[in-house]
Amino acid sequence: MLLQLNNIFKWVNSGGQRVFLLKDINLEVTEGEFISIMGPSGSGKSTLLNVIGMLDTFDEGEYQFLDKSVHTLKEKHRSNLYKEYIGFVFQSYHLLDELTVKENLEMPLLYKKYSSSERKAMVADMLDRFNIVGKKDLFPAQLSGGQQQLVGVARALIGNPKLLLADEPTGNLNSKQSEEIMDLFKQLNKEGVTILQVTHSEKNAAYGTKIVNLLDGRKVDG
Amino acid sequence: MIKNYFRTAWRNLVKNRTFTLLNILGLSVAFGVSILLGMAAYYDLSYDRFHDKKESLFQVYKVQQTPNGSESGTSSPVPLAEALRAEVPGIEKISRHLSDVLVATKGEKQFSLDAVWVDPDFFDMFSFPLLNGDQAVLRQNEVVITEGTARKFFGRTDVEGETMDLLLKGRSTPFTVSSVLRSFPSNSSLEFEMALYFTDFPDYLALRDKWDSQNHEVYIELEKQVSVAQFEKSTLPFVQQHYKGTMESSIRDGALPNEDGTYFQLGLLPVEDAHFANYGEGPVRVVRTYPYLLLGIAFLIMLIACVNFINMGIANSVKRLREIGMRKTLGAPKKQLFFQLWSESLLVFFMSLCLGTLLGYLLLEPFQDTFRTAASFKDLGHAQVLFGAAITVVLISFIAGGYPAIIMSRLDTLQALKGKLEVAKGNRLRNALIVVQFCIAIALISSTLVLQQQLRFMANKDLGYNKEQVIAFPINGKRDSRQAVQLLREELAGNPDIISVTGADNILGRGTDGSAYTSVLGFDYKGHSVKTNMLVVDYDYVETLDLQMVSGRSFDRRYATDSLGVIINETMAKSLDEADPSSATLMLDEGVPYRVLGVVRDYNFQKLDRAIGPLTLFMKSDWDLYYAYVKVAPGTLADSYDRIKDTWAAIEPNAEFMGSFLDENVDRTFQEEKRMATMIGAGALIAIVLSCVGLFAMSLLMVSQRQKEIGIRKIVGASIGSITFMLAKDFLKLVAISFVIASPLAWWFLSDWLEGYTYRIELGLWFFFAAGFLAAVIAMVSIASRTIRAALQNPTKSLRTE
Repeated sequence: MLLQLNNIFKWVNSGGQRVFLLKDINLEVTEGEFISIMGPSGSGKSTLLNVIGMLDTFDEGEYQFLDKSVHTLKEKHRSNLYKEYIGFVFQSYHLLDELTVKENLEMPLLYKKYSSSERKAMVADMLDRFNIVGKKDLFPAQLSGGQQQLVGVARALIGNPKLLLADEPTGNLNSKQSEEIMDLFKQLNKEGVTILQVTHSEKNAAYGTKIVNLLDGRKVDG
Repeated sequence: MIKNYFRTAWRNLVKNRTFTLLNILGLSVAFGVSILLGMAAYYDLSYDRFHDKKESLFQVYKVQQTPNGSESGTSSPVPLAEALRAEVPGIEKISRHLSDVLVATKGEKQFSLDAVWVDPDFFDMFSFPLLNGDQAVLRQNEVVITEGTARKFFGRTDVEGETMDLLLKGRSTPFTVSSVLRSFPSNSSLEFEMALYFTDFPDYLALRDKWDSQNHEVYIELEKQVSVAQFEKSTLPFVQQHYKGTMESSIRDGALPNEDGTYFQLGLLPVEDAHFANYGEGPVRVVRTYPYLLLGIAFLIMLIACVNFINMGIANSVKRLREIGMRKTLGAPKKQLFFQLWSESLLVFFMSLCLGTLLGYLLLEPFQDTFRTAASFKDLGHAQVLFGAAITVVLISFIAGGYPAIIMSRLDTLQALKGKLEVAKGNRLRNALIVVQFCIAIALISSTLVLQQQLRFMANKDLGYNKEQVIAFPINGKRDSRQAVQLLREELAGNPDIISVTGADNILGRGTDGSAYTSVLGFDYKGHSVKTNMLVVDYDYVETLDLQMVSGRSFDRRYATDSLGVIINETMAKSLDEADPSSATLMLDEGVPYRVLGVVRDYNFQKLDRAIGPLTLFMKSDWDLYYAYVKVAPGTLADSYDRIKDTWAAIEPNAEFMGSFLDENVDRTFQEEKRMATMIGAGALIAIVLSCVGLFAMSLLMVSQRQKEIGIRKIVGASIGSITFMLAKDFLKLVAISFVIASPLAWWFLSDWLEGYTYRIELGLWFFFAAGFLAAVIAMVSIASRTIRAALQNPTKSLRTE
């Protein structure tokens, strides 16, 4: 068992009324799964992903991650937890424009305890694995969208996370680039990375092993 | 259209409340402070400018060559003015001007009045009109008084023809009031409460032909076609004739001639420069440092506030890019956008100016007290001053408000719509401006530290005499001064808290009466000329002040011949160049031999900006004393003060007691430095506060610019600490650059300033490191709240926007 959500509620108060963003969510993720979260806009997909990624809090319920109760952890321990075990991929890549590909990959390592030579080795390894050695000194603006997302995925994986969270990873890409990224995800999943993706596309969802449907913050079947 | 401009401007300002308030706050303070400082500077710079003939009025000064270089001064001998008028061409009018303090009596009451003895031309030359606007006429045995004096003495102003009894050389002498002068501006270096005919001066006859006794200034009005250089040149033969003896002794003592090859010269100083002239060692120096320092600080503070304004303007523009893009797509031309944005800054400037003026008005009184200036808003009431101020404000608002307006109105429409601004260029300007702010702050902080330290050093320095236990006060009554001191001594005898009583003809430090003078005596000793400060004292002077005798003895009542004895200090002993100075005999010019009884250890009898000069203490009982000194026991200082005050009131019932402890007097001599330290310290404080406001705004901008980056870094695992440090690092870099730029400049100015003090602190590096450190800490504190908040913020919020 990688993580388990029990009766998760999240709400905001708007005009004296409680607006539920997540309502009674139960979810189990075991290692090696590739889950797609689907649903229309505003159904709470991203919110759920953020809660799982520990970037966002929830108001009620329990969350176990690797047998640790996330809801009782302090902010600092929580951030240590996701720093170590979770990697994020975004729709708009979120690479730093003023850093080169190599530096973007290196950045997460700066916040962990690696020596400079270890960092270099890990970055070189990752560049190699994703076939972007030739682009290592380019800036994000000099890459195509697919290549940027490739760097984004590489950055997410450089710390060897157990879980990869992807929020519409192909939303900004054309179909060919999408396919490449989804193939990569599948490949990674085979190599043992657990993946949770939010997507609008049935086609992308089909790459996964399981689909979770959301509507108005609630899990629906089917 | 214009109404529309201002309406949208107003709404935008209200919308950006934080920035608007910060801007108005900063600018109001800056305007208020600048108005006050500018006013004080204007007041100072317009000293002596109210005379109609100011362009042709001059003060005569002399420059004499001595073995130690040249020496300048204004004191002139009595026959000089008449001789100049008779022998040197180009003089339209000439007047002597001798300051004095006279006691006027009216029944039981006594008034101590500042008097000047002048020649009749005086009122022709200077603009001191009568109450009805006419020119005053001065005749023998008559006195011209000012409006204030008339009110003080008679209680009314229509007093022409009344009689005033003045105490001259202890004799009451009647003078007729010929006319009453209108009050004249307080920024006049010629200040008096009454003017008298020069030749009525009691010692006039004795001094009429004496060229070696110099006690007054001479003012000249030059003929229109004569230049200063021409006049100075035509005095050369005159000097050769009248100052022959002076020049010969200069040559004999080994003085070097000046560039013109002479040993003595007369010069003319424009009256407008008189207030700023420094005489003494070297040629006369006209220094307007103080008003320019005021203007400089005002300028710096204004600059800081404007930098804030510009930076905040650019910062805000990021938020408003969409609005501007929208306006552009709707067809707004550049010019219109510019005017719309500029109208916002005009509005802010206008409000700040009003608030600033109000602030200045409210702070006027404390300002006048703290910086002892009589400047007021009245002085600014001239059309040209107001016009200049208005132009300045518009110009500042144009530069400070116009720059961001231009940048924004020139933006590419699409870029603006997307909300992206090419920030690199703006950042460079922003950084340069912040560096300027911090340079100013660091320079002002280090100056404040050095000034304070020097002040403390001077206040705590061992001056060589007991300043804590001695009370001094002027002997200002009708009695003979020796007799008064003796009475005081007898009255206070037997009181265990009173240790000893003495008197002298000069004060140590500066007393509450504010007067100060030096008297210097020159004579020949064994073939070389010797100059010494002279001090007339009473018995027990050495003991009262705890001076230390190096050799010989102090004055002693047991030896009747001590009235022809003197005590000299070590410096004087050295200049006598004698193996055993305590057995020397000085032949002063009357031909009376004065025997040296003892040598006293050097003590700082003058202000600390000069080295201890030679000093000779005389004890001739027929020479007047002007100050009484009382040494009291420690522990009961305040009680003893009251006791002495009461005793003095019994001895001189009509005289005011103006006593103070010598350490207070010493403090008073630093008033100028204290004023400067307060000024710079206040300037530093305001500069820092304004810089903080600016930095705070900058941290807002930076955080909003780097929001995405902060979010990404957090998601990949950056801690709060590392993000805060990353954000702060950029500002720390700027502080470091400012430190590198400002420190050498400040060091240079400060070491130059300290050069002026013989007794000064070591200009250590720590002053600058402390200032730099302080600036860094302040910078960190002012950006802390925003950066920490940004670092704490949930990264999903900043990344969700897309």
